[in-house]
Amino acid sequence: MADLVKKSDRKFRIAVAWAQDPNTIGSIYKAVNEGFAEAFLIGDRKSIIRTCISKGCDLSLVNIVDAPDDVTAARMAVSMTASGETDIVMKGLVGTDKFLKAVMNKEEGLLVRDSVMSYVAAIEVPAYNKLLFVTDTAVIPFPDLHQKICMADYALDMARRFGIEKPKIALIGASEKISPHFPNTIDYAKMCEMARDGQFGDCVMDGPLDLFLACDPGSLEIKGVQTPVGGAADVLLFPSLEACNPFYKSLMLFTHSELAGIICGTTKPVVVMSRSESELSKYYCIALACLMVS
Amino acid sequence: MALKHLSEFKNLLGNQQRKRLVLAAAEDLNALSAVIKAGVDGIIEPILVGDKDELLKLAAENNFDLSNIRMVHEPDPNQATEIAVKMVRSGQAEVLMKGNVGTSTLLKAVLNKEWGLRSGSLLSHIAFFEVKNYHKIIAVTDVAMNIQPNLQDKIAIVKNSVDCLNRLGYDLPKVAILGAVEKVNENMRATLDAALMSKMNQRDQIENCIIDGPLAFDNAVSLESAIHKGIKSEIAGDTDLLVMPDIEVGNVLYKSLVFFADAKVAAVILGATAPIVLTSRSDSDEAKYDSIMLAAAISKKS
Repeated sequence: MADLVKKSDRKFRIAVAWAQDPNTIGSIYKAVNEGFAEAFLIGDRKSIIRTCISKGCDLSLVNIVDAPDDVTAARMAVSMTASGETDIVMKGLVGTDKFLKAVMNKEEGLLVRDSVMSYVAAIEVPAYNKLLFVTDTAVIPFPDLHQKICMADYALDMARRFGIEKPKIALIGASEKISPHFPNTIDYAKMCEMARDGQFGDCVMDGPLDLFLACDPGSLEIKGVQTPVGGAADVLLFPSLEACNPFYKSLMLFTHSELAGIICGTTKPVVVMSRSESELSKYYCIALACLMVS
Repeated sequence: MALKHLSEFKNLLGNQQRKRLVLAAAEDLNALSAVIKAGVDGIIEPILVGDKDELLKLAAENNFDLSNIRMVHEPDPNQATEIAVKMVRSGQAEVLMKGNVGTSTLLKAVLNKEWGLRSGSLLSHIAFFEVKNYHKIIAVTDVAMNIQPNLQDKIAIVKNSVDCLNRLGYDLPKVAILGAVEKVNENMRATLDAALMSKMNQRDQIENCIIDGPLAFDNAVSLESAIHKGIKSEIAGDTDLLVMPDIEVGNVLYKSLVFFADAKVAAVILGATAPIVLTSRSDSDEAKYDSIMLAAAISKKS
């Protein structure tokens, strides 16, 4: 991913809200050092300088913008990005709710009118031979049809930016059967119809599929199910945040997977990671956001 | 106490008399081979109800020794299922297993009012996973039976599961009721149900376990995650049983653990008067064998 970004030969300007966090500064400094990012660290100047020094960062390579508190820092970072001074906005130590409030501000925020905000993650799973693009790991609890359509669009867009021209997307359910007991499967059937009409661009969409049919070619024969996704999905769309959350967390905790994700549906990429995420995860998110800058 | 490996189910069987497992419509190679192996290993005593000609043919093709195994000839799978269920009901067997018959047919027989195996509780599914990077076996319910359990259903599911864990020797299993988030959110039904059940546990309305919820998956199984988020919970990072909000969530987790995390799994249906082994073609031979061990370990002596 970082290689793809470096290939673009561009420097992406990143505004970090309430930046005085060692993992955040470490991750962004790595991107700066590798030549594809320019950092605007917004927050308490003294603590930022202290953190930079403790992380061994060259202060001449980063821009520091003083801000009195977390809410102001979030507002400043977002409005810098909205006005085009920066390309990407990233959450530092500020709480997610405060940060997203700034992002969603009607005048100075990054919302596209009437658009759906959703989270797409790229996950590297050791037991799978390619990256998995997964949605929604963080934002929409119970997506309706319209939200599912947007989620699919964003995830497919991300997959294509990784060079996958015709991504295979599996709409995940408990089984492959369409059933009135599972309202999500009705939405899935409609989406597949739309995909046939080309409304999702060049892609292979099928659902409902269970996780085996989506990711394990061996399961097709056992179950006697034909699907064009063929156990080789690039994108997994989950029926709910409740289903997606244990899925990706079990991967992270039990299989040593790596994850990078961003919020989609905004005018500019928004990087939101849990404060406890590692420096490397945050770095991957930054690289992903750079890749998503249109 | 907690189990680390599924193979420990075998130790729980001890020296007591072998439990009898009746395989309904036994002419199903997948199920049959696991049952025969478990019989040879002394885990259970098999009883086969099904098409005898077909069984003898399968035995010849696969080198099964059926000479000391009780067989009841009934070529019709529906009839065979009824016979098998009645054998459990009358105390001739302690475990029921599905062979060459549809799940719905088997469950219908189990739920038959006159001769079935109703206990008054809801039927529910429990799966035990042995996952690398978790320090013990973790049980998950319900990943296969109940589609969208309401609060009352969830209470029954938890009671079934706790009873099962108690039988396996867990005095006070740690039960995490899962939500997508660990905060009670009035727009997320799962978190409300979880909070209610935690309180019911404190009031001894659900006994013999420690319940906490809502917990997100990572808080339930990783103390580090819980500490990072500042969550105080008696069970964080040490969960024995994870309770799923609905089947879509459970199914995904189940398949993710098996496929991506290379977990071993054993599963059984609870809530009838005897445990029921319901394996599918996509289960590995090991999973079927371990499920039989599990069922034998929790079955009551008749």
